[in-house]
Amino acid sequence: MTDPSDRGSIDLGADDVSPYDSGAISTLEIGEPLLRVRNLVKEFPIRAGVFRRQVGSVKAVSDVSFNLFPNETLGVVGESGCGKSTLGRSLLRLIEPTSGQVMFGEEDVTLAGRRRLQQLRSDLQMVFQDPYASLNPRLPIRDIVGEPMRIHGVSRKEAKERVGDLLNRVGLLAEHGNRYPHEFSGGQRQRIGIARSLALRPKVIVLDEPVSALDVSIQAQVLNLLDELQDEFDLSYIFIAHDLSVVRHTSDRIAVMYLGRLAEVTDRTTLYDEPAHPYTQSLLSAVPVADPKRERERKRIILQGDVPSPANPPKGCRFHPRCPVAKDKCSQETPELTEVTPGHFVSCHFPLLAGETLLDRTRQMGRDVDISQR
Amino acid sequence: MSVANGAAPAPLLTVEDLSVGFHSREGVVKAVSNVSFEISPGEVLAVVGESGSGKSVTALALMQLHPRNTEITGDVIFDNMDLLSMEDEEMRSIRGRDIAMIFQDPMTAMNPVFSVGDQIVESIVLHTDNNKKEAWNKAVDLLAAVGVPEPKRRASQYPHEYSGGMRQRAMIAMAIANDPKLLIADEPTTALDVTVQAQVMEVLYDVQEQTGSAMMLITHDLGLVAGAADRVQVMYASRLMETGNVDDVFYRSSNPYTRALLDSIPDLETVKDSLSSIPGNPPSLAHPPPGCAFAPRCSMAIPDCGLAVPELVPVVGVGHASRCIRTADMDVAVEAPA
Repeated sequence: MTDPSDRGSIDLGADDVSPYDSGAISTLEIGEPLLRVRNLVKEFPIRAGVFRRQVGSVKAVSDVSFNLFPNETLGVVGESGCGKSTLGRSLLRLIEPTSGQVMFGEEDVTLAGRRRLQQLRSDLQMVFQDPYASLNPRLPIRDIVGEPMRIHGVSRKEAKERVGDLLNRVGLLAEHGNRYPHEFSGGQRQRIGIARSLALRPKVIVLDEPVSALDVSIQAQVLNLLDELQDEFDLSYIFIAHDLSVVRHTSDRIAVMYLGRLAEVTDRTTLYDEPAHPYTQSLLSAVPVADPKRERERKRIILQGDVPSPANPPKGCRFHPRCPVAKDKCSQETPELTEVTPGHFVSCHFPLLAGETLLDRTRQMGRDVDISQR
Repeated sequence: MSVANGAAPAPLLTVEDLSVGFHSREGVVKAVSNVSFEISPGEVLAVVGESGSGKSVTALALMQLHPRNTEITGDVIFDNMDLLSMEDEEMRSIRGRDIAMIFQDPMTAMNPVFSVGDQIVESIVLHTDNNKKEAWNKAVDLLAAVGVPEPKRRASQYPHEYSGGMRQRAMIAMAIANDPKLLIADEPTTALDVTVQAQVMEVLYDVQEQTGSAMMLITHDLGLVAGAADRVQVMYASRLMETGNVDDVFYRSSNPYTRALLDSIPDLETVKDSLSSIPGNPPSLAHPPPGCAFAPRCSMAIPDCGLAVPELVPVVGVGHASRCIRTADMDVAVEAPA
């Protein structure tokens, strides 16, 4: 990483208004969310037979609603196939959502026409998981980072200068602009992807597993960089990841997804200290901690079975087949995401109370649960 | 070098001065350099390191599964047998019987055109006098033991019909089919989700407890190491940086790399303001830096670090050793665990 003092001047400072501002949130009032997602649904058709008739659908995202506030990082966690990446992509309409609203300020992103969508995307950007697949191997870095500016009509000369600034800012050198992606390591490529996402001074960046392809020593560099950039450019992040430790570190609030639905949404302290959804508790207990003594003392709840297929999700609460404390109601009625305490949303008919552990509840109900303790 | 020698009975596996080099256009790339260690019967040894540190190559060399253009030097003594001097035929009789391996990706490790049961049967019939029918029954029992539901039906299914976690269980069943003395698990749960990872690790612990086999667990996940290992070996750029029992390495580390690695991971239970990251990138193994390979990224580096590769020297703790010339300058009283 370069020394912070030689980052070079950047005309992307917080006070000047970006020339690419889509104008969608010019009237945002203090305390109002930047992004309001309402009842977002994405279903992928399953086609079969000679006529490719639709025989079913994969319910990747079902009825997801949340707010994203200015300057906030909202973490989205879940296991593979829970729909977190699909959610991230549908917000930017990189895949078209089936239904629902994505309100960016006063404007519904899902209704924007082609041109308007392009303008909006200068405010809504994305960083992808795979730093190898997300950079065009045939373009030099300067073109990769400069492309968004070219599309939005920045002059060649200005773009060149700003690419240099951006590269400096993410810890690379301006001279690196002439090189091609294969000349960089995974961590450096991820920095390039971040520089590209910053090119148009966005307000929201969707980070889809931005560090999961990186080694831990490099992961910390990129996480710290994202942190600095957020303060410097007033960014709001939607941070999608499967690693709960990383999400806890980066996020202000966290949404836990299970099989296309939000299981729990709350601030990070409440989520880790008082998780109310049985799934959240078992997920947290499954994460290994890099501390041998704590590991020896922990009681780990082992969930039975695998995540069911989203093509044929269970009726009622989607977690009920694996839930150690499920009751009859859970298999019949789908729980709504409800606010149990201010700012703490849970979709469970029988949420765990503050201080109540899943283990307590299981024992109280006389159920068997697989516990691992070394 | 016997610094890694814990107070234990005769070791099951002794690796002495193992080096593995691959021929490439840029000359010989040394993926493993002068690695020595031992594994005692029933012990879990974790090998941690980032990608390219040589941890998997070490395991493949032990199993003699490396590609042809490989130069291997050193000694690998397993149960009084010298593995490196063995003929292919002899090695085949040990592989899958005395030493078994569990790979990261069970989909590519299994043969897609044979049923899971058949593949377990194959490894049983190869190493025992059991006939096919006995072996099949044993395979079903093994699948049941690793927690595959409806083992009778599932045994005749093919790998693609299994989910990731189930496939990994099937691979464990295959690995323990002949009661191996040593299990080598190379990133056994990296491809799995955390809840499934917890299930699979549980199976591994059970299996290891019941069979009393030793395990070499290769992983990059320090959390997994903390929960599973008796002893830990930290590798960086083809060399062992530190070795010792799990508490010594986590709480009383005498190596700047190990410490930096531990500091750079976010913690699930506390929130740090910012992570202490390790600057720079791991070195190229084709052109390693002179002296200590970690020196260019190390916050404690002094000019002498670039002169010669430091030796692995004993530090406080049984079998605890660190490869660093500044070991004596390190303040060993790391935060006392809660």
